[in-house]
Amino acid sequence: MRPVLSAAKLFARTIAIVLLVLFGATVLVRFAPGYLSDAREMDTRYAGAARAELSAEAVRSHSLAHLLDTEVRGWARGDAGLSRQYGVPVSSLLAPRLAVTGGLLLRSLPLAWALALSASLFSSSIRNRSAAMLWQTPAALLLAVPTAAMATICLLAGSGGPVLVMALLLAARDFKFLHHALRKAWLDPHLLHARAQGLRAHRLVAAHIVPSLAPQLAALASLSMVTALSALVPVEVIFNVPGLGELAWNAALNRDLPVLLAVTMIMALGVTLAGMLSGQQAAQQELWRSA
Amino acid sequence: MRLKLVAASLLAAIILASLVIVVIPGASYSRQDREAPLAGASLHHPAGTDALGRDRLVRVAAALLLSLAGACLASALTTAIAAGMGTLAAFAPRPVGALCMLGCDVFLALPWMFLLMMVRSALPLSASPASSAAITFLVLAALGWPACARAVHRGALNLRCADWMLHARASGLRGIQLARCVIPNLLPLLLPQLLVCIPAFVIAEANLGALGLGIGEPLPSWGGMLLELDNSAMLLETRWVYFPVALLVLVLLLLEAITVEA
Amino acid sequence: MARLPHPRLLFCAAFSLAVSLARPCSAQAAPRLPGELAWTIGYDPKTFDPAKVDDQESEMVRYLTAGVLLRFNRFTQKVEPELAQSWSLSEDGKTVTFRLRPNLKFSDGSSLTAQDAAWSIRRLLSLPVDVAPVAEEFIVPATVHVETPDPSTVVVGLPQRIVGVGKIFDEIAIEPANRPSQARVTSGPFVLADYRRSQYVRLRRNPYFSAVGGAGPALAAGVRLDILENPEQEIRLFERGDYDLIQDLAPDYFELLKRRDPSSVRDLGPSLNTEQMWFNQFPDAPLPAWEKAWFASRAFRVAISQAIHRDDLARIAYLGHATPAYGFISPANTVWFDRILSAPHTDVAAAKASLARAGFRWNGGHLEDASGHAVKFSILTNAGNATRQKMATLIQQDLAALGIDVTVVALDFPALIERLMHTQDYEACLLGLENVDPDPNAMMNLWLSSSPNHQWDPSEKTPATPWEAEIDRAMNLQATARLDSDRKRAVDRVQQIVADEQPFIYLVYPNILVAVSPRLQGLRPALLEPSLVWNVEDLHLAGAR
Repeated sequence: MRPVLSAAKLFARTIAIVLLVLFGATVLVRFAPGYLSDAREMDTRYAGAARAELSAEAVRSHSLAHLLDTEVRGWARGDAGLSRQYGVPVSSLLAPRLAVTGGLLLRSLPLAWALALSASLFSSSIRNRSAAMLWQTPAALLLAVPTAAMATICLLAGSGGPVLVMALLLAARDFKFLHHALRKAWLDPHLLHARAQGLRAHRLVAAHIVPSLAPQLAALASLSMVTALSALVPVEVIFNVPGLGELAWNAALNRDLPVLLAVTMIMALGVTLAGMLSGQQAAQQELWRSA
Repeated sequence: MRLKLVAASLLAAIILASLVIVVIPGASYSRQDREAPLAGASLHHPAGTDALGRDRLVRVAAALLLSLAGACLASALTTAIAAGMGTLAAFAPRPVGALCMLGCDVFLALPWMFLLMMVRSALPLSASPASSAAITFLVLAALGWPACARAVHRGALNLRCADWMLHARASGLRGIQLARCVIPNLLPLLLPQLLVCIPAFVIAEANLGALGLGIGEPLPSWGGMLLELDNSAMLLETRWVYFPVALLVLVLLLLEAITVEA
Repeated sequence: MARLPHPRLLFCAAFSLAVSLARPCSAQAAPRLPGELAWTIGYDPKTFDPAKVDDQESEMVRYLTAGVLLRFNRFTQKVEPELAQSWSLSEDGKTVTFRLRPNLKFSDGSSLTAQDAAWSIRRLLSLPVDVAPVAEEFIVPATVHVETPDPSTVVVGLPQRIVGVGKIFDEIAIEPANRPSQARVTSGPFVLADYRRSQYVRLRRNPYFSAVGGAGPALAAGVRLDILENPEQEIRLFERGDYDLIQDLAPDYFELLKRRDPSSVRDLGPSLNTEQMWFNQFPDAPLPAWEKAWFASRAFRVAISQAIHRDDLARIAYLGHATPAYGFISPANTVWFDRILSAPHTDVAAAKASLARAGFRWNGGHLEDASGHAVKFSILTNAGNATRQKMATLIQQDLAALGIDVTVVALDFPALIERLMHTQDYEACLLGLENVDPDPNAMMNLWLSSSPNHQWDPSEKTPATPWEAEIDRAMNLQATARLDSDRKRAVDRVQQIVADEQPFIYLVYPNILVAVSPRLQGLRPALLEPSLVWNVEDLHLAGAR
């Protein structure tokens, strides 16, 4: 009975999150300045057309309830509504971009983790404090350089792309967390003892450190997933990657509510999923302890 | 201990030097030497000038005091909120904890950019650059915590189930007393959060310039100087554009050295 | 138990993986087809229906694909027959007669007759004005008739004389009757072949198109318009030879390209566009009464104008690629530019004197008005335009010399437009105006006091001031006058009033900065948009035909 109950709970939680996000995002976008204005209003050639579109939108978005109703109806129809800027079903915009963004994440996340984990395993095992500090320099540099600047440097160097920049961005953050967690683990009394007895570092890592840090690593993985989702927008926009992040950015600039809602919903699902994966581990452990 | 001391004194020296550079009579971060835009290093401008002919050294020094102070405070605030929320959710009764984490997840997914736009439109347009900067850092602090709070929550849950914690609870420790044992154990999570947030906030402040927030002209913004790096025309013009980023890396390393655990 | 590799090994493996991923993929364009030209547009065209064009990028696609009866030659600035062999305007200016060229064909090989031309014009007229903005230029579209007395003649009857009527037909694409095709079947040099949203628009040559003079189809096999906003990538791809031209280069990137290859860039001199600043004079604006009084004061506006060092704006913000501006007509517009215009030039002492005369005074270096309110205001501009933000910061410093405390605020476009057009909640604004037509009649909506685009005080019921009333009269006069000399006199008068009253404080005319690949042949850059590709049928890459 228990698994069914917990699955039902998870489902209810996800639905609650999606609904709250739907409502919150609608309110934020609708009442942000510029919802009922269009850059073309300034251009005397196109001002008339722009104004006509705006007054139609004003009628549509007159009441929040009505707006939410049309959105939900769009979702029920399966096309997620009609994009305000392109005038096509949102689902047709999302489908090709989901694959692009998914590919970017799938390639950059493991790369980032591999880089961060190996670098931090190495750096945390260095006993000389000053030498360990030197290892922090690349991470500090990656944190200090804005994404756009990284992109420009890639362009100037003629190599590197969105996957690399995304991976480096995430690796720098993950490295910071991993380094601190591992350093603390190395200083645990039983490890100090083991090291004093001359056990090789990599044996210790495999036998003690990684297993004992597993729950923490899972929490960090969810954190880096969230970071990755928020880094999608700058990376995709700067590299002109036709993914969800770029779509969201264009939609935000054009106040394209249906598209924004759809992307936000996907983000919410991604965040919840990331939380669930790391939560699973913690929940199991808790269950085991309380049993 | 020696490393910490050296790092702390170096950081103090940098801050002191910036203070001196800013208050030296005749130094101005806003005066435009219109005959010498993008000039190289000279006796008059030791680090050259920016695209509008303003002294780069004075601007970097002033930005260090302004942006760094803002980003450090905002980062400390957001880490504190994350620590508070995370531990609260872990130690509070289950429904409260679940609700907190639900709030966290919702918070993470909302498009906050539009809230920032609303903040801007609620501020008067002629709000002084300094007050707009203060509000920007405050908003950043208020929006930066949920991802970390989730990780803290997981960490705190683990602690809650740890044997020593069971022991402590069994022997009657409550509330604040428990929290005092928990926070030090979460430091490996909170310290990196603090350090990662500082550069992130410095850059975020500059990016918010696009929404009319952030440190307004003529006040110098460190993030604004970092963003100059994305213009390849600028990169080829003068090597001094790398100065702010080099200084930021140094400051980050020093902060890391100071906060590193024993 | 699984054995983990040594951390150092793991790191090396991860690092080499990262390096292998760092293959040259940072900037990519779609592969070029043989003989294809390529350049970029900033965003997805909103529509490919030539009648419904209502944004710049759709207009670019229409220009490249549409066959039109008359073409407004961007180089000579004269209207020339294109699909028409000849055209004539009746004495009263109310009847336009076109004779089509013989043996015209659409891109699918079907023949093009007067029926198709009439259908295309009628379709445009029947669409609501807000869907088809071109129809608006006929003033009362519903009263226009189109007739076809024979298969090669089209007669358009107008309700009244319209200034520059020929130019309207430059914007009306002739499509196959009853088969609107979203640019898939056209009578122009190119046809829409492929469109990938937010990646590219691909056009291919229309084999049946023949330019005037029987030159045959366009020389290039096709055109690819990449949708790309990032100038860094555009420049990198241009340098690699993936793009053949860049229109609208920013001054700093112009200098960058010039340093690498001086022959790749050209400064075509001042454009028709202006950059200007203005104060909000809307009577019901949510501003304190004293601020409204400053902004309504001519002396105040003139003093601000005199305090701005336009030479510095051109030299520092534009790196010398701009010309100081004092009026709304650029010197590049040789026909309409008023050579004897007298406008306030930079003179800080005169600015101070005129402020003092108007009752302003200085208190500890800060300017105050007669009622003791410190003079400070914000200048609003759009985010993402570095040049404009530099100008605003330079102006901030210039006005500090008068004791005025200015804050500069950059907003994203929708939020900015909301303040300018809807809430009127701003003090001063710095923006540019793009002029696509040298004829000042195109600026009617900007100058008429009743227009919503009359920026400093939109949609006035009656002209708020005598000088605005005079501008209205002069603009209406130029729109109806028969003689060009009368029109010129009226427009000169408007230029002088604007210079005297400074409702818009003109700052600079930015130069047209472009980059052109040395391989591109047939180029004849023009002042008017689309300045590099107006003669697209003659453009081709060296060695590829």
